[in-house]
Amino acid sequence: MSWTLPKLVPRSAPAVLLVLTLATVVAFAAVSHLVNRYNANQQARGRKLYVQGLADVSAGKLDDAVEEFRAALTCDPSNPQYQLSLGRALRDTGRLDQAESYVLALWQRAPQDGTINLALGRVAARRGAVDDSIRYYHNAMYGVWSADADANRRKARVELIEFLVQKGAAAQAQSELVALAASLPPDPQLHLQAAQFFAQAQDYRDALSEYEQLLRLNRGDPVALAGAGEAAYRAGHCRTSQRYLQEAVKVNPQDSHSRQLLEFATLVLHTDPFVRRISDAERVRRLTAAFLHAGDRLKSCARAKGVNLENASANSGTSLSASTALPSNALARLAQRWLAMKPDLRRLRAPGEDDLPDAIMDLVFQIEQQTANDCGEPQGADQALLLLSRNREGADQ
Amino acid sequence: MSEVGTTHGSVTPNPGSSGVRLNRRRRFSLLEDVFDEERYFLLLSVFIGIFSGLAVVCFRLAIDWTHLALLGPLPQAHTWRLFAIPSLAGLAVALLAIQVFPGIGGSGVNQTKAALYIFNGYIPFRTAIGKFVCAALAIGGGHSLGPEDPSLQIGAGLASALGRQLQLSREKLRLMAPVGAAAGLAAAFNAPVSAVLFVIEEVIGRWSAGILGSVVLSAVSSVVIVRGFLGSEPLFRIPVTTFKRPAELIAYAALGIVGGVASVLFAKAIGLLRPRLKGLPHWTQYFQSAVAGLLIGLIAFLGAPQVMGAGYDFMDQAMRGQYAWKLLAVLAALKIITTTLSFASGTPGGMFAPTLFIGAMLGGAVGGVEHLWFPHLTGSNGTYALVGMGVLFAGFLRVPMTSVFMVLEVSGNYEIIVPVIVANTFAYVVSRSLQPIPIFDLLTRQDGLVLPSLEEEREETVLRIEDAMLPPPPIILSAGDYIDAATRRAQASSQVIFFVRMEPSGWSTISRDLLERLLSEGKGEHTIGSLISAQTLPCLYPDLPLEAALRYVNQVPLVPVVNRADSRRLEGVISREAVFARYQSRETH
Repeated sequence: MSWTLPKLVPRSAPAVLLVLTLATVVAFAAVSHLVNRYNANQQARGRKLYVQGLADVSAGKLDDAVEEFRAALTCDPSNPQYQLSLGRALRDTGRLDQAESYVLALWQRAPQDGTINLALGRVAARRGAVDDSIRYYHNAMYGVWSADADANRRKARVELIEFLVQKGAAAQAQSELVALAASLPPDPQLHLQAAQFFAQAQDYRDALSEYEQLLRLNRGDPVALAGAGEAAYRAGHCRTSQRYLQEAVKVNPQDSHSRQLLEFATLVLHTDPFVRRISDAERVRRLTAAFLHAGDRLKSCARAKGVNLENASANSGTSLSASTALPSNALARLAQRWLAMKPDLRRLRAPGEDDLPDAIMDLVFQIEQQTANDCGEPQGADQALLLLSRNREGADQ
Repeated sequence: MSEVGTTHGSVTPNPGSSGVRLNRRRRFSLLEDVFDEERYFLLLSVFIGIFSGLAVVCFRLAIDWTHLALLGPLPQAHTWRLFAIPSLAGLAVALLAIQVFPGIGGSGVNQTKAALYIFNGYIPFRTAIGKFVCAALAIGGGHSLGPEDPSLQIGAGLASALGRQLQLSREKLRLMAPVGAAAGLAAAFNAPVSAVLFVIEEVIGRWSAGILGSVVLSAVSSVVIVRGFLGSEPLFRIPVTTFKRPAELIAYAALGIVGGVASVLFAKAIGLLRPRLKGLPHWTQYFQSAVAGLLIGLIAFLGAPQVMGAGYDFMDQAMRGQYAWKLLAVLAALKIITTTLSFASGTPGGMFAPTLFIGAMLGGAVGGVEHLWFPHLTGSNGTYALVGMGVLFAGFLRVPMTSVFMVLEVSGNYEIIVPVIVANTFAYVVSRSLQPIPIFDLLTRQDGLVLPSLEEEREETVLRIEDAMLPPPPIILSAGDYIDAATRRAQASSQVIFFVRMEPSGWSTISRDLLERLLSEGKGEHTIGSLISAQTLPCLYPDLPLEAALRYVNQVPLVPVVNRADSRRLEGVISREAVFARYQSRETH
């Protein structure tokens, strides 16, 4: 068998180059045809496997889906959709390192892509990495989306907020929430979600504002009424809270939580001596009642802690503040002050004693806070007083 | 008939038409003059790159298609095809290799090198075809071999065939093989720099500036073609951790040491098994590849299908942390066994991909163990796997420069260059200490050939002028010295020949006899410079190779060795006797 090639190429240099150029064109065309056919076959095979993988994901067979996506990727290695799906499936099966590796490879090629950044954000969130999550979710929010950009960006922000709330990063969650609330379209569902997030992040004023927005869109919504009532209550706006809660209970009489809150908001309103539009006599009555409640609370707490207020008061240092002293010292000192102030109650009605109500209530609030610290949260009127003290503290701040 | 005119019944050539023809010929001849041999060769290198690139694209498609058709996209363990297909493929390949395409066994690197140094660049076209068909069948059928070395030989074969077609000079024809080899390898790896370096380090075996331009051109043009058809993605696109803490280099050095030992084991296994299988009766060669395929299939069937074929998909998965370190270590060991079986049985296919596979698995395993002990190491397992590839490349193939650039090019990431250099250096040193002969040299020696290697050249002590030169003579004359004074100085010494420092530069010599004769002729008041010939002596420098002295020592008895910064300063002299004595002393050592 002879394998010697016939002499096809001329010896003259220009002619050789001409022949080689023609041969290149022909070879190019032939190889292009071959590669195109091969690629088409491979892509078809890859698509089939990919569709099977998606079906497996829907059926919850994530391990099978991973294998299908892997096989699809061997058929079409540069397909970003397959890589992304494989990354997601790996993430959902808990193989976070592998998932990150696939999605990061995509990210290196398209760092501005919103979908890829969102996927990376989710992987980082699964890992519990707060900084990485914030970085990738932010990239997703400000990244490029092929379709429905606003909704996808909002979705990314909502996911980030959920993650931050879950991780207890309230300050970061709050700043994201403010940005979210500023860009919300008039969609009741979105406002409800935002309000709930604000409430979870303990930003009750903004939660109330979102519930009010929701009520403007959807008047009489029982969830919005109850939420607004609770947010107002937590924000210390008891009168507003009472109004919303009354409506909530009227719309949904089975809402026991709102009913309970309503009772409590009413109690706070009836306990607060600084509330407007009450007579002087009523104000004095409330101050006296608050003072006596606080005294009783102090005594019962001291008893529970085994502190003898008379002995302890003799040893207590006067320079210590109530909140930082040892419990026995703090309680004793408060008891000493309470006893010292008790005779002043008689001067409440006297003219020229404008500072006395404030002084009384300051002591009451200190007692309620100290006893809450030492003996736990109180009930009834003491609870109302404690809430008033916290509201006052919040207002001062 | 339009080209001739008729006048009075006689036929005469048309003057206009003849002028056009002459002009055309002249233009054609001018065009030919533009292409001197060097330029012509450079242009041919581009075409070689293009054709090699196209051939490698087809070769890769052939392997993929065979693999998909025979084994499926991702073969799973415990299917009968796993051991049936490699053994049947082995049988078919052996038949073809013995009956139709003799001489296609092995990787192809040594054959290309032999073509360059022994066969004047001749690689039969049949070899290129045979390599294409058989390697595609073997690799696609699951033999533990890679497509890179065959691509190198296919490129070299195409280039050689083209060179013969064009009836190039023997010198150029010899160079066609490495030019084609660079193109083939660059296309297979999608890595032009590594291909060029490999061809220089391993195929040519020495640094040669003359061929560098052609090799680079062909490699680049083939890569352009491959990227055009198959995409420009690097072979592995994994996110690697940025190297931050210098202390982590210790971890990479440990990887280098382990990789160096593994390289030696791998090389020794091939070095031991290959000659034994070759020494078996001839008829067994029909079945060696099939038996190797059967054993590989068995390993795959029992749970390690990753060891089949080139294994790039599995390398990718290992780099992404799919396997635990124990499995990675097992896969590395199994790949050494399966590749040794495939290669030693004479199945055509390359060792590059298996080397990368073993390196990746070993790197991942070492990285995994190191992470267990030192959880604060920042390098991901993927990074260790990537560095591991370079480690095996440096330790097994013993191409230190190629190994560094190969890792950078196949990953498209230049941030890991420091760990790669450190680990590769350790692997190279360990491998060289434990196995003095590199694998390709070992294989050529087993085949009865002696080919030059860059490692030998690196280890060879080069003798220089300074090693043989004698100290400068005590009396050195100047061109401005008077004959009578110079003669008096000469007569007071035992020197016979005196060096004369000429003005403004250069050196000459004058003998004592001549000085005395000139004095007796009454020329004592003349300067030496005015009487002796203006022709100066050739000068040498101390750092030149000793061979440089051989050109002059037969012409003049003493050659001045001067300082490079000040040519009027004599560092020493060199004579024929001193040169030969130095060479003789090296031989006896």
